[in-house]
Amino acid sequence: MSKKNQRARALAYGGGTFLLLLFLWEILVRMTDSQIPFPTPFAVIERFVDMLFHNVGYYYTIVGHVLWSLSRVLAGFCMAAVLGIVLGLTMGWFPYVRAIFMPIFNLLRPIAPLAWIPLAILWFGIGEKYKYFLIFIAAFVPFTLNSYAGATHVDKQLVGAAKMLGANNAQVFFEIVVPAAVPSIFSGAQVALSNSWMTMLAAEMVCATEGIGWIIIAGQAVNDMTQMIAGMLAIGIVGFLLANGMRLLERRCLVWNNQGN
Amino acid sequence: MNKNVKVQVTHLTKKFGELLVLNDVSFDVYDGEFLCIVGPTGCGKTTFLNSLTHLYEPTSGEILFKGEKIDLRKHDIAYIFQEYSAMEWLTVKENVRFGLELKKQYKGINEKVKDALELVGLTKFADYYPRQLSASMLQRVVIARAFATQPELLLMDEPYGQLDINLRFRLEDEVVRLCKQTKTTVIFITHNIEEAVYLGDRILVLTNKPTSIKEIVTDELPHPRDIAAPEFVEMRNRITDLIKWW
Ligand SMILES: Nc1ncnc2c1ncn2[C@@H]1O[C@H](COP(=O)(O)OP(=O)(O)OP(=O)(O)O)[C@@H](O)[C@H]1O
Ligand SMILES: [Mg+2]
Repeated sequence: MSKKNQRARALAYGGGTFLLLLFLWEILVRMTDSQIPFPTPFAVIERFVDMLFHNVGYYYTIVGHVLWSLSRVLAGFCMAAVLGIVLGLTMGWFPYVRAIFMPIFNLLRPIAPLAWIPLAILWFGIGEKYKYFLIFIAAFVPFTLNSYAGATHVDKQLVGAAKMLGANNAQVFFEIVVPAAVPSIFSGAQVALSNSWMTMLAAEMVCATEGIGWIIIAGQAVNDMTQMIAGMLAIGIVGFLLANGMRLLERRCLVWNNQGN
Repeated sequence: MNKNVKVQVTHLTKKFGELLVLNDVSFDVYDGEFLCIVGPTGCGKTTFLNSLTHLYEPTSGEILFKGEKIDLRKHDIAYIFQEYSAMEWLTVKENVRFGLELKKQYKGINEKVKDALELVGLTKFADYYPRQLSASMLQRVVIARAFATQPELLLMDEPYGQLDINLRFRLEDEVVRLCKQTKTTVIFITHNIEEAVYLGDRILVLTNKPTSIKEIVTDELPHPRDIAAPEFVEMRNRITDLIKWW
C-alpha cells in the first residue's frame, strides 16, 4: 500500500472515532436527567468560537489568555533549558561536578512541582514569578536528567578518536560530548514541555487573574460547565500544537539522526 | 632505507588486573617504514596501539616517539580504530575537516579535504551523514580523516576488516603509495597474513598471550607486489607457520 493511502486511512479512522465520540456525547447529554445542565458538543464548540472573539472575563479573549499562559511556560521552560542542560551535561562528563551536585539533585528531584506551590507563593508572592518558578521546576528535572544521560552515554570510541586527532579537554567536551548529547536533550525537552504545560495550569488554577487555567476556575465559580470544557479544549489544542512544534524543531535540528530519508 | 628510529618500544608490559597481555615487548620502528603487526586474535594488538597513544597506561616499560614521550597534541599521529569512529552529526566532508580544524590547520583545508575524499572514493558522498552510508563507506570516512591530517605516524588497527576485496586492494595500493610519497611511518595491524606480506616492509609476528615477539620478518619484495609470485607465497606460508600456536 502506498504511503499516501496509508495516511488517508489513518486519518479516516482517527477522524471517524472522533466523530463517533462526539455523537455519543450528544446522545448521552440528551438522555441524561442531571440537575446541572450538561453542554452538548455543539454548545462547547459554539462557546469556543465565541471566546475567540469576545472577552472571557474583563480583558482578554481566549487567544489573550492562551498567550498569557504561553508566556509563563516559555519563561520557565527557557530558564530550565539553560540551567538544566548546563548542569546535566557537566554532571555527565566531569566527575567532580557530578560529585558536587548529584546528591542535591537526587534529593530534590522526586519532589513534584506541585509540592512547591505553598513555598513558592510565600517566596515569590502570587504574581508571575511564582508561576515561572513552578514551571522552571517542572522542566528543569527532565532537562537535567536527559542531558546527563546524553553526556554519560557518549561513544568512548568517538572521544578516543577526537583525542587522537589532538583534541584538548575543552574540545572533547564541546565538539564531541555536546553534539552527541543533543538527541537525548531533545527527548528531555519534549517531556519538559509537556510538564511545563501541565504545571502552568495548576499554578494558574491556584492563583491567577488570566490564563487558561483561570478560565476553567472562573467557569467553576459560576457553575459554567461550557466554559470549563471549552477551556479544556483550548488546553488540548495548544498542548498538541506545542508537542508537534517541538517534534518539527527536532527533525530540523537533527537531520543527521533521521534514518532512511 | 635510512634506519633512524622513529618509535622505540622498550620492555613494554601491560596487565589487565591479573591478565598479562603484553609481556616485556621491545622493538623499534624505523622512520618511513611500513611495519605490519600480525598475531593471533586477542593477543593484544589493539592493546599495544592503545598503550602507544596513552589511551591505556602501560603497566611498565616505555614507548618513545622521536625520543620523547608521546603527546598527541604535539605530535602528528593518526590512529584508525578497529571500530568505526565517524562523528554521526557531521557530514562526510565535515568529518574529514574535523581533524584539521582541531589542529587549526586552516591553510589549504578545502584542497586537503577534497584530495582525501577523492582518495577513498567518497567525493560524491561529501554531504551525506554517516547514518546514510554503508559500513565500508564509514571506514573510508575515517581513513580519509586520518590521511587529511598528513600524520607523521599512522596507526591502523585492522582498518580494512570490513571492506570488500576490490576496495581493499585499491586502498592498500593507495596507502602504500601515499605513505612512501609522504614518508609516513605506519604501524599496521592485521590478522590477515596475506595483507601483511602485501603491505609491510617488516612484519612483526606476535605470539599468543602472554604476548611477546615471535619474530620480525623483513619483507623486501618490490612494490607493487604480486600475491601469486613464489617468493610471496613462500613468505606467506612461513609467517602462517610462525603464527600457529597449537
Ligand atoms: N580494557 C580492557 N580491560 C580488560 N581486559 C582487556 C581490555 N582491553 C583488552 N583486554 C584484554 O586484553 C587482551 C588483548 O586484547 P586486544 O583487544 O588488544 O586484542 P587484539 O589482538 O587486538 O585482538 P583482535 O585481533 O580480536 O582485535 C584480550 O584478552 C582482552 O580481553
Ligand atoms: Mg584488536
